[in-house]
Amino acid sequence: MRISLKWLKDYVALPASVDELASRLTMAGLEIEAIDQPARALEGVVVAQIAASDKHPNADKLSVTKIDWGGGAALQVVCGAKNYKVGDKVPLATVGTKLPNGVEIKQAALRGVESAGMLCSSKELGLSDESSGLLILPADAKVGQPIAQALGLDDVIFTVNVTPNRADALSHLGIAREISTLFDVPLTKPTPRLAESSTRASTKIAIRIEDAERCWRYAARVIEGVTVKPSPQWMQDRLKAAGMRGINNLVDITNYVLLEYGQPLHAFDLDRIGGAQIVVRTAKGGETLTTLDGKERQLQADDLLICDKDTPLVLAGVMGGASSEVTEKTTRVLLECACFQPTTVRRSAKRHALHTESSHRFERGTDINVIPEVLDRTAALIVELAGGTVLEGRVDAYPAPKPPRQVTLRTQKVADVLGVTVPGAECHRILTRLGFTKVSGDEQVATFAVPTVRVDVSIEEDLVEEIARVRGFDAIPEALPRGLSELEPERPAMRVERLLRAAMAGQGVDEVVNYSFVSPAELAAFSAGKDAIAVSNPLSVEQSVMRTTLFPSLVQNVLRASRHQTQGVRFYEWARSYRPDESGGQGTVPVAKETLELAGVLWGMRHGTRTWTSKDAEADYFDARAVVESALEALHIDGVTAETFESPWYHPRSATVLRKGQKVLGTLGELHPRVMKKLDAPPGIVLFQLDVEALQSVAVLVPQARPLSKFPAVLRDLAVVVAAEMQSEAVRQVILEVGQPLVEDAQVFDVYAGHQVGTGRKNLAFALRYRSPERTLTDAEVTEAHTKIVAEVTRRLGGALRT
Amino acid sequence: MPDAMHDRLKALAESARAEITKAQNAQQLEQLKGRFLGKKGELSAILGAMGKLPADERKAIGEIANKVKGELEGLLEAATARLEDAALEDELKGPKLDITLPGRAAAFGRRHPVSQTLEDIVRVFSRLGFEVYAGPEIELDWYNFEALNVPADHPARDMQDTFYVDAGWLKKGAGPVVLRTHTSPVQIRTMLAHKPPLRGVMPGRVYRKDSDQTHTPMFHQVEGLLVDEQVTFAELKGTLAAFARAFFGASTKTRFRPSFFPFTEPSAEVDVSCVFCAGKGCRVCKQTGWLEVLGSGMVHPNVFKHADYDPTKVTGFAFGMGVERLAMLRYGIDDLRTMFENDARFLAQF
Repeated sequence: MRISLKWLKDYVALPASVDELASRLTMAGLEIEAIDQPARALEGVVVAQIAASDKHPNADKLSVTKIDWGGGAALQVVCGAKNYKVGDKVPLATVGTKLPNGVEIKQAALRGVESAGMLCSSKELGLSDESSGLLILPADAKVGQPIAQALGLDDVIFTVNVTPNRADALSHLGIAREISTLFDVPLTKPTPRLAESSTRASTKIAIRIEDAERCWRYAARVIEGVTVKPSPQWMQDRLKAAGMRGINNLVDITNYVLLEYGQPLHAFDLDRIGGAQIVVRTAKGGETLTTLDGKERQLQADDLLICDKDTPLVLAGVMGGASSEVTEKTTRVLLECACFQPTTVRRSAKRHALHTESSHRFERGTDINVIPEVLDRTAALIVELAGGTVLEGRVDAYPAPKPPRQVTLRTQKVADVLGVTVPGAECHRILTRLGFTKVSGDEQVATFAVPTVRVDVSIEEDLVEEIARVRGFDAIPEALPRGLSELEPERPAMRVERLLRAAMAGQGVDEVVNYSFVSPAELAAFSAGKDAIAVSNPLSVEQSVMRTTLFPSLVQNVLRASRHQTQGVRFYEWARSYRPDESGGQGTVPVAKETLELAGVLWGMRHGTRTWTSKDAEADYFDARAVVESALEALHIDGVTAETFESPWYHPRSATVLRKGQKVLGTLGELHPRVMKKLDAPPGIVLFQLDVEALQSVAVLVPQARPLSKFPAVLRDLAVVVAAEMQSEAVRQVILEVGQPLVEDAQVFDVYAGHQVGTGRKNLAFALRYRSPERTLTDAEVTEAHTKIVAEVTRRLGGALRT
Repeated sequence: MPDAMHDRLKALAESARAEITKAQNAQQLEQLKGRFLGKKGELSAILGAMGKLPADERKAIGEIANKVKGELEGLLEAATARLEDAALEDELKGPKLDITLPGRAAAFGRRHPVSQTLEDIVRVFSRLGFEVYAGPEIELDWYNFEALNVPADHPARDMQDTFYVDAGWLKKGAGPVVLRTHTSPVQIRTMLAHKPPLRGVMPGRVYRKDSDQTHTPMFHQVEGLLVDEQVTFAELKGTLAAFARAFFGASTKTRFRPSFFPFTEPSAEVDVSCVFCAGKGCRVCKQTGWLEVLGSGMVHPNVFKHADYDPTKVTGFAFGMGVERLAMLRYGIDDLRTMFENDARFLAQF
């Protein structure tokens, strides 16, 4: 909201410093977001009069002028413009002035003639984008006066960020009331004097409220014999300062009072109201209204309307209608001043996408008891600026008068909430200055009547806040919370997150953070769009469905990297995927199943770029496998089985599901070539995803120490040729089983397929470690065990010992 | 005879001394060792002839022979050491590695600046005894708004542009479903699940229908809540001022400004002295010297009622902060949107 300081001065004396005023208001909860001070940019520019003008001796296009400027001797100024005559008043930028366009005025010689300043155009003063020649000022401009003052630009405009609770501050009087409280200076409100005619207004208009729940008060005055014309300049200037536009005197006056009191008003052409009556009711089926913006609006059953005998005239509290608006021909005015239920106005405004100065205030709540005062003030202004006579009395429908709310304040409560003692007398003084009236009580406990403009104050805490903010939050000391009563053990989830993230760091996988929503097409490419939760009002289709898997985003990350000549990425994301939960929403059960995932993508050069130690190493399935294994190791999860499975995401040759017992922990594999094609992704993408909760359920967060064997191990290698499709793990399992209890471990250290082992065959080499916890093994028993293993592997798996 | 042997030993010792000193490498030394001290070596040959001597002479010659053996062994050892040392000297003077080559590629994965910042925020509050709690991102309107004292049709709803979800799978009567606009609904869920006293931080993703240079439709918040008997605004100030010093640096100043959040009363915006100009005024703080970083306040009694806490028995304070904003201030990132582009060149910087 824009507030003019010049205007404020009508009601309250302002402190000398604009910055101090802004700071006090900000620190009391009315944040001054911007201070617009055009005069500051025009300092040094004054009204000057051209006393003489001669041709420049050395330049045809220039003139040499003598300038009276109210600051002593006349100045000689060289000028390039031609649009003036001697005696004209023009702006003079004196030496030392810095103009808004950055030009600094210096004493200088122009083509050999001294010039002590510069005569300015409106463009040079930053007042317009274009101009031809000097800005010629009105003849009555005072020589020597600062130009800002002469042009009426000496106002200061505050942009105030009024929070939704402070409906009372949405006006100049509201801000003035706040200043009066903060600086303890008196507030002067307008005191309208009305000379009413002897004709009673109630003989010209009848008001009937049919829906008293939605319309709490509807009052009007009638003014006859007005002349519609432009409003005076001062009023237009003030409206402009506040960000509104002048239309005609009647409309401008209602807007002016709106900005003054925060109370919306509406002026009807009384002659265009059918049946001389106002009916406040909700819309009937099929009714329409053409609003002042020229749009025809289909009205809904709970739109509140101001109607005449038959037809809707105004969408209550939101916007007037074209049929009854005042025109140049209007002579009889019905002036409306009402109070509507805030939610009704808000719903209508939202439904018709009409946010107006009026709806903005009504939906926050207006002062129901200020209505008579505002009507009188407005009527008086109309008579003053548009002529005419005010008929006697207000026609006021106020079905259920609302007395001010009463709230009790315990002085002890102030100390309890704020942590600092504030004497009762001080609390009461602050509230009184804010317009609260003490109804009863003493220094310890007192009941206050809340001014009806303070629609936000209804409980004791609200009073405490008023006291705190007027005193300033700086007056409250700082203290750390009192001691802890208990320290809970660290949550397993926290430990799991830390360990898994450490594993990712150790594997050189960088973290990305992607949006939780993607495009339906991206999910569809992964055949993951079924059941996806859709946002009903997305910003764009690219952000319209919640991810059921993190993969679409991760593949996009690769696409971006490849576009930017990155040669390889290792990325992971720690985020949730979302699916509907049929049993969700009951009690505290979340509406959706949100699964925390650790998902990642590897693509391109293993180390992100070519390196001299491993020139062309590209990441493949086994790199992703290593990342996943290190995650499992971080959580000490042993005995995880890997099996191939069918998946629309992964290449069938490498689609892997990892299980511990029956529990699925995650999956990994190369991106399915069809998905790759659909997404136009580069080849070589490997993906993995782990279910963090599943990992946590089988994690060993505090591993227990095992004794180390005192006896040496015996190391033997075993190479076996098996069918090419044989999984190495099957061979390893046989080795471990048959080798019990002496084989401590067996690890694949070589895989070879080539003509030497025959087509359709491969050689697997294992490193076996034999050890006994009880004794040193003899060569003979190791040999015996090894022979037995070889025999069994060959027999069971059709392998042949490689020699 | 004994004299002859004596002379032979003496001669052997002399020639051995000379040869050992001259030896140029380990191989020669090995040969010399064999020649003089080996089983078939010269000393053995001399000693072999000793058996013919009378016992007393044998003893005397034996002593001399042992002395010679000992001396030669010592000499060989010293010569070996000398040669090894010389070889090492040579190696040390040898060609150098190209120590400007980078190390063998080994990985270090970096965390996203937002997640680093989030962790840092949480860590500060952990030191003050705040536990971490989580809640759903797809949330009932009731938890996101109603329970936080933001009724339907209240203008405060305009403070947060909301994404809605058509939750057709839910039973009728569950009410509207939103992408949570703040982490505050986790306050309600946490209070419903835990009795007071309570101190917790609730980090996570939040969503608002807004997108420009300073807004993204998704961002992160950390919510905080402390509830106990007789919690005061002074403690709110102390806690958040301590946080600001711990997070931004010991000389950071804080400023509390009255504001409005429907779920707190009184409410305060918290500004910290500008981290770029130390409060002198610069482009980042728009010449004010202050940066707005936090919203906070004393928990509104209506919120306690919705969470089954008795507002006549407990009071508390709550606060919330945008993680991206703090990350931008901390790392000097000037365009919020780069946070979610996940450009490898960007991520590699943190």
